[in-house]
Amino acid sequence: MFYHISLEHEILLHPQYFGPQLLEKVKTKLYTEVEGTCTGKYGFVIAVTTIDSIGAGLILPGQGYVVYPVKYKAIVFRPFKGEVLDAVVRQVNKVGMFAEIGPLSCFISHHSIPAEMEFCPNVNPQCYKTKDEDVVIHAEGEIRLKIVGTRVDATGIFAIGTLMDDYLGLISN
Amino acid sequence: MAEKTMCISQQQTKPIKILKWKVSEGNTVSIGRVILLYDFDGASKVEQRKLKVTQAGTIFKIVAQEGAIVKPGETLCELKECTHPTVMNDMCAECGTDLRKNDVSVAASVPMVHAIPDLKVSEELAQKLGKADVDRLIRDRKLVLLVDLDQTLIHTTNDHIQPNIKDIYRFQLYGPNSPWYFTRLRPGTHQFLNNIYPFYELHICTFGARNYAHMIAAVLDRDQKFFSNRILSRDECFDPTSKKANLKALFPCGDNMVCIIDDREDVWSNAANLIHVKPYHFFQHTGDINAPPGLDKHENDNKGVDLTKIKDQKKDEQIQNNDSKATENDSDKNGENVEESKVENQVSNESESTKNESKENTEDNEGNNKDKVDENKNGDDSSEQKIENVESKGVNGEAVTNDEKPPPEESKTQTEGDTKTETPPETKNAIEINNHLVEVEDPDDYLSYLEDILKRIHQAFYDAYDKMESGEVPDLKKVIPGVRSQVLQGYKLVFSGLVPTHIKLEQSKAYQIAKSLGAEVTQELEDDTTHLVAVRPGTAKVNAGRRKKNLKIVTPDWLWCCAERWEHVDEKIFALNSKGSKNRHPPPHCSSPEHIISYPEHNTPAMRKRTPSGRFMDTINPLMSFSSADIADMDKEVEDILDDESDSSDEEKNAKATVVNSEEVHENSSSSDDSLGDHPKGFKRKREGGDEAEIDLNNSTEDDETPSVKFRRGETVDSEVDMEPDSQDSDGSVEAPDEVDDGEWNMMGAALEREFLSNN
Repeated sequence: MFYHISLEHEILLHPQYFGPQLLEKVKTKLYTEVEGTCTGKYGFVIAVTTIDSIGAGLILPGQGYVVYPVKYKAIVFRPFKGEVLDAVVRQVNKVGMFAEIGPLSCFISHHSIPAEMEFCPNVNPQCYKTKDEDVVIHAEGEIRLKIVGTRVDATGIFAIGTLMDDYLGLISN
Repeated sequence: MAEKTMCISQQQTKPIKILKWKVSEGNTVSIGRVILLYDFDGASKVEQRKLKVTQAGTIFKIVAQEGAIVKPGETLCELKECTHPTVMNDMCAECGTDLRKNDVSVAASVPMVHAIPDLKVSEELAQKLGKADVDRLIRDRKLVLLVDLDQTLIHTTNDHIQPNIKDIYRFQLYGPNSPWYFTRLRPGTHQFLNNIYPFYELHICTFGARNYAHMIAAVLDRDQKFFSNRILSRDECFDPTSKKANLKALFPCGDNMVCIIDDREDVWSNAANLIHVKPYHFFQHTGDINAPPGLDKHENDNKGVDLTKIKDQKKDEQIQNNDSKATENDSDKNGENVEESKVENQVSNESESTKNESKENTEDNEGNNKDKVDENKNGDDSSEQKIENVESKGVNGEAVTNDEKPPPEESKTQTEGDTKTETPPETKNAIEINNHLVEVEDPDDYLSYLEDILKRIHQAFYDAYDKMESGEVPDLKKVIPGVRSQVLQGYKLVFSGLVPTHIKLEQSKAYQIAKSLGAEVTQELEDDTTHLVAVRPGTAKVNAGRRKKNLKIVTPDWLWCCAERWEHVDEKIFALNSKGSKNRHPPPHCSSPEHIISYPEHNTPAMRKRTPSGRFMDTINPLMSFSSADIADMDKEVEDILDDESDSSDEEKNAKATVVNSEEVHENSSSSDDSLGDHPKGFKRKREGGDEAEIDLNNSTEDDETPSVKFRRGETVDSEVDMEPDSQDSDGSVEAPDEVDDGEWNMMGAALEREFLSNN
């Protein structure tokens, strides 16, 4: 789910940037430092929308670095258990398939893929498809899935999904 | 693991009627799966309602049958809790449970998917999936082929290469400032993959890093048609020095249908289903850039094409374009008589395209020039013998193709032309190729033979399968040696000058190669002997053989060539001439896996540990660790032997040696009482415990050693010296003794170290 929330971040700035462009530098540094990162609590920080305030800088004694507390608003993406999302299939194999929802990777075990869909390793590209080839899911295809579990660690979030519910599966245009 | 069963009971307030079960017993269900269609009993209008499970697991038992009416609170079915058969990132992929939090023992342990080691499945599921794979392969009449990359299909270097050479791909793997890689495909690779693809499911199995493997796969296989995502790289290998460990995970139902092509057999522990490929070597001074740590091979550092000469070659080409007739004459002059057929071939082709032809001529000419150069070098410098041999052999090989089957050669040149036209579009994928490309002469044509070998194996496998009872699957580990043994079936060979006298015929590598090819080898010439493999003319066997009518006298190169190509090569090319042959030892890739298995650890010496300074001897005087009793003992032993040699016959010597030996052992054990005596004892125990490779090595020095030592080892191991692939000089007396001493001191060093540590 996407949220627009207020967040805080501390920017550590080298003394070489002290000058007329200082605040600009703080802003660009904020963008590069927070956009694309992931925290367990808020999920992926997609984009910084506004910078609300840049607090008073504090010079670190003995180093010369300055620390700016920055308050900003950002769009974050936080996946939840039970959430239904649209994803792009990245890879299919005999154990299941991998899909991506933006920055979030997701695995769907073949037990969580409807039983009428069979894995076909011989066709190129490999795919899961029904007997009558009504529904074919292969890499680059778009699917709708439901998240049944998430794993949050330092570098990102990984999710387990399922296609076993109403209106899940291939998104046909 | 205790499996909990739970009951799914009727949660509604009114009794329901079961319309249809959507699952059956034994089905695996995940959260949200519809298991049941029902309707309220006695409802006015029929309306199907669905019952979904709230927990993942397996349907253990269906209690309420279809059509039954179930009251609230009654059990519908029993559900076994999820056993977490598929685990990704320590999360159950069925039910989403975090397996790090709960202390559940996880059954999933088999990483079945090549590039994703985090995804594991349970043994049971792996078996099921493996079985499905086997069934599918048999249905498609395919086999599995594990393909190595480096030096099998490609050759890659980090040396900077001129960018204007044809068929060289260059790429960077780790960002703009990382080293460039230059990769050359083995001639005919695309053709090979295309032809082999209908018979084999191809997997890449390499020690290269993951992105290297995927980059090369993208070059070899743009549409992911051949390899799909079946790419196993170093990042997924369980064992940094062996690829064997991953087989079990990839093929949980056994490797019955797995065939392997690789340029080195040590990483596969000499598996019987390995086809040992002749290593492809194109760039000079580069071996296998992805060799496993500690197992680097430096043997062919100087082989390959000298790219510095390329500019000259370009000039040559132009000259030849101008005057193709002169070139023809030239090649005629230079070549052996087999060359003639090739020239004829060219003449017949002449009408087709002049460009193609001039290219062929260039190749010819260069090949010959090279041959000449090699010969010149030969006179100058004997240390480069091996390299030259290999090269001149390559030229020979070319001659064979031309002689035996001109059509394939022709088609090959054509396909080369095809790939040439295809090259420009290939370059788009982040790989650059310049437009003004220089053709490089590359005599390697091994892939066409390999293709033939693989097709024969496929044929043999399915022939065997068709003969078997349904459901049984033949084992490629038996089929492949079988195919190999048909190459020289029915021929009877005799070796002359090939096997050193101190080695038993049965233990020589030449014998094992011949045997693995199905030939029979006898010690002496017999009436029905078909081939005499002789290193030089003028031996007794050669002279006797000249008188026989049906006997073909060939150089060992013939045998090595047969072993390399798995086919009966024409003997004419390898007829013994006055010069003889220097290739007494087979090239390292001519292996006979099923025989070598009986000599395990043949590469152990290379892996022996050394002290950081290189040699233990340099750090500690070894005499310090002997007790005086030991030294006296050794003196006595030497004296005994000297006495022996002066007056007694060989037989007596051996007998005496036995006595000395037993004495020595006895005294040694008694000497353990004094303070220093422990080291030799520990050392001795270790030695007798048997490091076989160590002992093998010792044999090479048998001339310098005491009979007692010789005896202790037994007679039979003597001749295994030549099995040692690294020892290139046949006498093995130059550097081997040093190594032995070194090894012994190392052992003692280890014993010493142990003692010190234990005291502390």
